Amino acid sequence: MDTRYSRQELFSGIGKEGQKRLQEKHVLVLGAGALGSASAETLVRAGVGTLTIIDRDFVEWSNLHRQQLYTEADAEHNHPKAIAAKERLQSINKDTTVKAYVLDAKADNLKKLVQDADVVIDGSDNFDIRFIINDLSQKYRVPWIFGAFAGSFGMSYTFLPEKTPCLQCILSTIPSSSMSCETSGIIAPAVQMTSAHQTTEALKILTNQEESLRGTLLLFDVWNTQQQSIRTDKIKKTDCPSCGKERTYPYLVHEQDTKLEVLCGRNTVQIRPSEKKEYDFNTLASELKQHGNVRKNSYILICTLSDCRLAIFQDGRVLIHGTKEIDKAKHLYHRFIAKEKE
Amino acid sequence: MIKILFFARLQEEIGKDSLNIEKAGLTVDQLKQWLEKEHGLQSLDQTMAAVNEDYADGSEVLKEGDTVALIPPVSGG
Ligand SMILES: [Zn+2]
Repeated sequence: MDTRYSRQELFSGIGKEGQKRLQEKHVLVLGAGALGSASAETLVRAGVGTLTIIDRDFVEWSNLHRQQLYTEADAEHNHPKAIAAKERLQSINKDTTVKAYVLDAKADNLKKLVQDADVVIDGSDNFDIRFIINDLSQKYRVPWIFGAFAGSFGMSYTFLPEKTPCLQCILSTIPSSSMSCETSGIIAPAVQMTSAHQTTEALKILTNQEESLRGTLLLFDVWNTQQQSIRTDKIKKTDCPSCGKERTYPYLVHEQDTKLEVLCGRNTVQIRPSEKKEYDFNTLASELKQHGNVRKNSYILICTLSDCRLAIFQDGRVLIHGTKEIDKAKHLYHRFIAKEKE
Repeated sequence: MIKILFFARLQEEIGKDSLNIEKAGLTVDQLKQWLEKEHGLQSLDQTMAAVNEDYADGSEVLKEGDTVALIPPVSGG
């Protein structure tokens, strides 16, 4: 007999029935950083039927202390996180269908992915994308489980369309500055705690037990052992633009296709060409070799210049590490990458 | 007396995780302004607040014995 899930089935909250339901469900994990890694591993081990994971970044050495799916080899070869995650997840459980996309998440490319999911796990690292997830969640009535951390502090909330307040009700505007792991550091236990709360809630949703959901905004500090479980019953706003009666989904409507974007707290500028382009990595590599050290795999080419590093993705995106200045980034981009067009 | 719990960056800024003060009668917004001024905290505009583990808006008046949690949004993932 198959004993793989026997201990989980013994747990009264899941049971054989719950296990069967899990195997029929589809989870979208948005972001394959620390939270995305931890949550994806837990849910794949738990035996969820399908798991889709997306991420726009590649593995670096500074990720390894907290992003549990990745190895030194992934950092060494700059594997895209989505691809490295899929490989690891699939080796953990071959019964789960794991889909992975190297993708810079936006309202348009997330639409279909959210619609196909039974629950969305937030593994993103910025509020711009969380407000887009929030609108998509409301529009397509797919629950999403927020998680975020900094230092030894974490927080989580489960957003259920038509039932709980939404992110817009709670925050009303995108926080202009918020602590991230780039600015305040992070210890892995804060990640695991946040993810543990997210995946526990996900297991309840995936086994059709919405009545058992926590219902509060949970925050905690693992270092100082503080916790608050905050009731949110009074804050759903009837005139909320994302979940109210006259909703307009502002983050789906006003989405501008940003071409240049400073990645918050990361000393990095991302350039996304307005039209999709595909690079010939071999040609590009031989050109860039004259200016700095070049490494590549089939998804990404990295060129280290004297004070900056260019990371060029197959889909045309370029990350310029080592500067926060849009003008400087633009200059480097035109000098080294998009010169033929200018 | 009112107990204030600080989370995330506020802990680092103020150097402790809680503070007891005699400020019953202030609103949540007034308490934030007082903290900015007296303890030199950076803007608390976007800091969420909960009173006795109930999400609170800025106009809520604090009563003797309340516990106020101040929660700046964090974004790491
Ligand atoms: Zn709302």
